[in-house]
Amino acid sequence: MRIIDIHTHPVFRPDNLPGVGVAQLVRRARDHGICHLVALGDVLRFGRSPTEEQLVEINDETAALMRAYPDFITGFCHLNPTLGAEAVRREVARCVPLGFRGLKLEIANNARDACMAPVMAAAERHGLVLLQHAWSMTQIRQRRYHTDPEDVATLARRFPRVKIIMAHLTGCGVRGLQAVRPCPNVVVDTSGAAPEAGLIEYAVAQLGAERVLYGSDVPVRDFGVAITRITGSRLNAATKQKILYDNARALLRLP
Amino acid sequence: MKYFDANTWTGRWPFSFCDEHTPRSLAAHLRAHGIRRALVSPLEAVFAPEPGPANRALLRATRSVAGLEPVPVINPALANWREELDVVAADPRVRAVRLLPNYHNYRLNIRAVDELLADLAERDLRLILQVRLIDHRHEYHAMKLKPLPVKELTALLVRQPRLPVLASGLLLPELLQLAPQFPRLLADLSFVEWHDTLEYVRQKVPARQLALASHTPLLITAAARAKLDSSTLPTTERAAIAADNLERWLGRGEKS
Repeated sequence: MRIIDIHTHPVFRPDNLPGVGVAQLVRRARDHGICHLVALGDVLRFGRSPTEEQLVEINDETAALMRAYPDFITGFCHLNPTLGAEAVRREVARCVPLGFRGLKLEIANNARDACMAPVMAAAERHGLVLLQHAWSMTQIRQRRYHTDPEDVATLARRFPRVKIIMAHLTGCGVRGLQAVRPCPNVVVDTSGAAPEAGLIEYAVAQLGAERVLYGSDVPVRDFGVAITRITGSRLNAATKQKILYDNARALLRLP
Repeated sequence: MKYFDANTWTGRWPFSFCDEHTPRSLAAHLRAHGIRRALVSPLEAVFAPEPGPANRALLRATRSVAGLEPVPVINPALANWREELDVVAADPRVRAVRLLPNYHNYRLNIRAVDELLADLAERDLRLILQVRLIDHRHEYHAMKLKPLPVKELTALLVRQPRLPVLASGLLLPELLQLAPQFPRLLADLSFVEWHDTLEYVRQKVPARQLALASHTPLLITAAARAKLDSSTLPTTERAAIAADNLERWLGRGEKS
């Protein structure tokens, strides 16, 4: 079985834990049948609102990974929309020639904020996919800078020509799936929290198999566990294949 | 390899689309994943006004189901906990009881908990402390529940250094904080994750303190096996985590 992992952080320095060895992580991914992965950068290395210089450092690390594993790693460019239109334009213009194929947004701002407009314009201009961190804010209550699935839906309606990956199926949950269901430009990745049972079947029933993509969120998640969210579900083999490989291949326009 | 699951449940969890299991269907489901033995508690005991009816139903229904070992739930915040313990401990299959402090609205420092622990020690029963049942960020919107605080668990383990405790549902940082401090603690792996979970955990925690746990039906059963099956640990360590440690902890192998 061939697998594309749409949500990884091969360079990662979590609090109180050491950095992850990239070579070890790549070896581990290959052992699990992963033939390609998307690197999103060490997005919280400098806190939730990095400066322009810090973004350059994060994205340069991702670019180095793409150079080291050219057929294996695709990079997404991490942005901080609150830095303004010029900063966004500059970083995207710098990263696109390096081979980045998407944009990654974390928790600098809420996806419904006006500062998203230059990001979406850049995505549309360069044909980039946007991967937006999202989680249900019902219990967390940090919606000022944390994106709820409803905010992803708002963003998707404002910019219908940009393809958006709503990260963290498990964090977004049933309500999140209902929020983005009417937005055909939104797909969801299967990462997030522990592997709660029953949710992936529901996601496929609501969105269709073409709008669900396998993502692990390694290193904070186990490749084997993340893959069993799909392989250990009741979905049929053809649907599993779409989620694990076909959908991401088409989205990233991989050969 | 033999698999002995430290954490499974019968009944219905009302807040997700996970399966609802009878003991028979649970045993069949686990067997399909190669798991032939499991400790099992009743989900009905989580939200019922008192756990007695759910415990008795579990004891009755598991009698004819091979491979499931009942773990009744005790609520020491209720005045009848002694009677309840008397009833469930009379069943020779019961080797452990489970506490759900955050769901049953008490703290581990109340007097009744210490009295219960003394009673368990006298009866040579083990204690399972459920730290979380699901990620607290995903609790039903009307419930304001936090996981069992590590600080409370630590204080209990300091007070009761010889008590055989299984901590169920710890996250990776919680496990790394607790296990090296309390070498007699057994921890299940249901919520523990890193990209190479077991290799990473084993750098800090001895294999003898870890136990396989699927947390079926709330979590995907195959995920528990995946952590073990994809690890590169020596076979003896994997066998210990898969079944032997739990067996020993229950007092059926060497003295714990």
